Amino acid sequence: MITPWREAWTGRLLLVLMMAITLLPFVSLFVTALHPSGTYPAGLAWPDDPQWGNFLRAFEAAEMGELLKSSTLIVLGVVPISILLGTMAGFAIGHLRVIGGRVLFVLFVLGLTLPYEGIITPLYYQIRDMGLLNTRWAIILPLIGLFMPFSVFWMRAHFVNMPGELSESARMDGANVWQLFRRIHVPLAVPAIASLGILLFLWTWNQFLLAIVLVDDPTKRTMSGALGAFQGQWGTNIPLLSAGSLLILTPTLLVFLIFQRHFVKALLQGSLKG
Amino acid sequence: MARRVRPGRSGVALVIAMGTLTAACAPPGGDSPQPQATSAAPVSEAPTCGTAPVTMTGYFETGFPLPKELTTEFTKQHPNVTWDIREDQFAVLTQNAPRLLADNPPDLMRLPQLSELVKDNLMKNLDGYATAFGWDKWPASQLEQLRLGQGGRPRGEGSLYALGLNMSMTGVFYNKKLAEQIGMSAPPATLAEFDTLLDKAKSAGITPIVQFNGGATGGLAFPLQNLMASYGPSGPINDWIFQKPGATIDTPSNLQAVQHLERWIKAGYFQKDVNAVDYATMMSRFIDGQGLFMFNGDWESGNLDKQMAGNVGFTLMPSAQEGGKLATMSAPLTFGIAAKAKNADCAAYFLNWVATDKRAREIGVEVGGSRPLGPADAYMPEVAQDTVTAGTLAAGADIAADNGAMDFIANATGAIYAKGWTPQLQKLVAGEQTPQELLKTVQADYSGQIEGN
Amino acid sequence: MTRPAGARSVHRRPVARKLRGTRGLVGWLFVAPAFAFYAVFVLRPIALTFQYSLYEWDGIGPSTWVGAANYGRVFTDRDLFESLVNAFQLIVFFSAVPVVLGLAVAATIRRIAASRLALVARTVLFLPQVIPLVAAGIAWSWLLASTGVVNQLLSLVGLGGVTRAWLGDFATALPAVGMIGAWVLLGLCTLLLLAGMSKIDPALYEAARLDGAGPWREFVSITIPSLRQEIAVCVTVTVIAALASFDIVYISTQGGPGNTTMVPGLQIFYLAFADREVGTASALAMVLMILVIACALPIQWFAKDNNR
Repeated sequence: MITPWREAWTGRLLLVLMMAITLLPFVSLFVTALHPSGTYPAGLAWPDDPQWGNFLRAFEAAEMGELLKSSTLIVLGVVPISILLGTMAGFAIGHLRVIGGRVLFVLFVLGLTLPYEGIITPLYYQIRDMGLLNTRWAIILPLIGLFMPFSVFWMRAHFVNMPGELSESARMDGANVWQLFRRIHVPLAVPAIASLGILLFLWTWNQFLLAIVLVDDPTKRTMSGALGAFQGQWGTNIPLLSAGSLLILTPTLLVFLIFQRHFVKALLQGSLKG
Repeated sequence: MARRVRPGRSGVALVIAMGTLTAACAPPGGDSPQPQATSAAPVSEAPTCGTAPVTMTGYFETGFPLPKELTTEFTKQHPNVTWDIREDQFAVLTQNAPRLLADNPPDLMRLPQLSELVKDNLMKNLDGYATAFGWDKWPASQLEQLRLGQGGRPRGEGSLYALGLNMSMTGVFYNKKLAEQIGMSAPPATLAEFDTLLDKAKSAGITPIVQFNGGATGGLAFPLQNLMASYGPSGPINDWIFQKPGATIDTPSNLQAVQHLERWIKAGYFQKDVNAVDYATMMSRFIDGQGLFMFNGDWESGNLDKQMAGNVGFTLMPSAQEGGKLATMSAPLTFGIAAKAKNADCAAYFLNWVATDKRAREIGVEVGGSRPLGPADAYMPEVAQDTVTAGTLAAGADIAADNGAMDFIANATGAIYAKGWTPQLQKLVAGEQTPQELLKTVQADYSGQIEGN
Repeated sequence: MTRPAGARSVHRRPVARKLRGTRGLVGWLFVAPAFAFYAVFVLRPIALTFQYSLYEWDGIGPSTWVGAANYGRVFTDRDLFESLVNAFQLIVFFSAVPVVLGLAVAATIRRIAASRLALVARTVLFLPQVIPLVAAGIAWSWLLASTGVVNQLLSLVGLGGVTRAWLGDFATALPAVGMIGAWVLLGLCTLLLLAGMSKIDPALYEAARLDGAGPWREFVSITIPSLRQEIAVCVTVTVIAALASFDIVYISTQGGPGNTTMVPGLQIFYLAFADREVGTASALAMVLMILVIACALPIQWFAKDNNR
């Protein structure tokens, strides 16, 4: 393909500009975080005396250790179960073609686009009656349910493509359905499961609404919900708020940078299918 | 055919399954236990926090150091008591209050407007404690705003449902250096003088008033209510706030007040971005010397004395007529105990301690900047004469003399601030609302909210 | 299900015979746990939302049956209806800006797709998708403040006259919130479209070039039609994000100034938990859910057509 010189440079310029806009908020947070605590720095200006200690203060103020533990526990509660249940259901609907599967599938698909605000009110009373308010279960259990549409949809899309001969030969060897699922199909589904895991991790970690409604104690929330509480408490101290926001961002950013190729792939596929 | 029937049948099964899931369609709220009105539990002797370790849960307003200073000092004196405190900005706290008090009740909580919380039996009736601790022997005006009738209306009489950490009061702070620049030698004695000063400041290139009016907090309610009290008597305003039958905010003198406020807005006496300024930004601007006046409360006195030592003055809003009666917003810094609080006795003991302990009263004045509650003859800490804290304490005496204490118009109902005053005042700033319509709308919101409850 | 019938019969029929038992009870056992969670934490709340919407209830005391009155309020109460209108206005920013800009950017990037810059861009442009929306809200509130970077940049290029507190101004608050959403979604759309472009058969372009088509013609008659599915997906994702927006507004404006940035999600939250008008909140929630499905379903079907 012939690429005229000028066109290539316009493209490059456009890219750089886009990246600059994308990064601007992060840079602004960073620079603001270095200003003396309690001040209102104007615009982007490097402080005369960078207050690196703000990060330490924010770390302590936000109880980052607790927050990391809490978010991790929630992710560990949500993601493995969602994957297991979603994979089993996807397998049954997509591969076993269970009777009534189509009706079920449509029912699940209808939940794909559900705005969480739509059900947050009854969910609150339900969780309250279950006695789970202000525990991590209040986030974990509903999220598993809310993630089922996508998980089932995603895994079904994988299993629907698995050739039937696979199962046939395994059945000839006398495997029961569970062994067939466990030994043959799950190993083959690992890439799909990995992508699903990444997406569910991200959505759990960043879940805000459930966290602020169902859990009052920030140290039992997700990272995102905790950031909301942090803003509530320190919103009047902009440098500290910026430092705290950056700290709370960091774990996701690290995970993203380490697994970035998988992330991008998973998110692209995820939105294409979802 | 057979193949098609079966999914159909499972579909039916699904519908049935879902039907059973929807809990037999009983109307909501029918079967859950309703909170009962807590009648004043008789308390034989004044309760204490005991000696066993206890963790008190608190829900406080962020940005105000007084409560935390007090709880810290309390733990120092009572080492068995520790505190687990959550903080939020006032607007968020207001939103969360009913939910929290019902389902995750804190022992001690900074309270927004009380009426609906009392109506729903979410607050502990403190009458028993009042007798046991002798609060009923304090000057009645200290507790008047915290008394509510059966079902939460009207306010101002009935049972006690909360206590104050102190009695805060609002007025006008001014930057002495900037005042000197425009030749202001004494605080304005009439509203007309005040207008002249504002105009002088504007001409001198000084922002006349820094105020907040952004987000969920319409801070122009401060100057507005001061203007209302300048133009008219404070009695009807109080009646409206206390939800007395037939009270209205839409009165001729209040209209004059809103019109006056509109003139200030149009004259450019507030910062251009006042609709985006939150409370903390206003404070930092005032401390930074970016404006002459600020309508605010004495809870900032201690802070201002520290950050602008010697450079800040305080005055009450002048009346429209020379020598007219002075009135301003003055209310207890309200804290209450959830009806279902686990450690209610200890919380009540703490509230009593705040009003009676010598060190607590000192903290109340130094950090809080306001007059502590308590018996009329209670210990009063010394305050240096040239501080603004001294100024606000003196003004408190003036207000008491004129019987001019009003509650805050934002406290008339639980939602009137967020749903009424804040958006309406923001619209007034943007030129999207007229004074007439502003009062009509707020009054309609108010009536709707009272009827709806 | 557009796979040719012949292909299906080749390997499905024997399996169906062998796996006959699994299509009933055993198969259901595989689905049951997933469905149970879905039913308890999604379907039941949906049904309850509908039920609540027919009552007047403060969430604490007893409730009163009011029929459809709450729905009437959603469409007649100015504040409630305005929130729906605002959500639709947000679509312009959440959807139109990222899709149109994303198309332009992707088309430009495609030419230098292999360069290292493009690889870096893939990572960078994705950052907004990864971070919590709350963080985006916090960062942008500060950028858009009256002393913020946006105004600083505007003054720098001689536009000092238009500077303002973007989130506190009646005229600009909603667009400003919209731009935060556009910032979050632009990267996703760009990369989605870029991925779609890489799948277009280069022969199509060469044929067009032989016909003497310029870059614009090429773009309109080949690129856009080939990207139908990706565009549909971008539109769905972003429209839903606009209609169901909550986090950004909650953090950056709380619905103000006035009610200019109030959106249904936030309104439901306020109504249900602060004003304790659970019935009205639920009616608005039903309307929101139906609106989202009504906007998403057509595109879902459209996208599925090209799938399997």
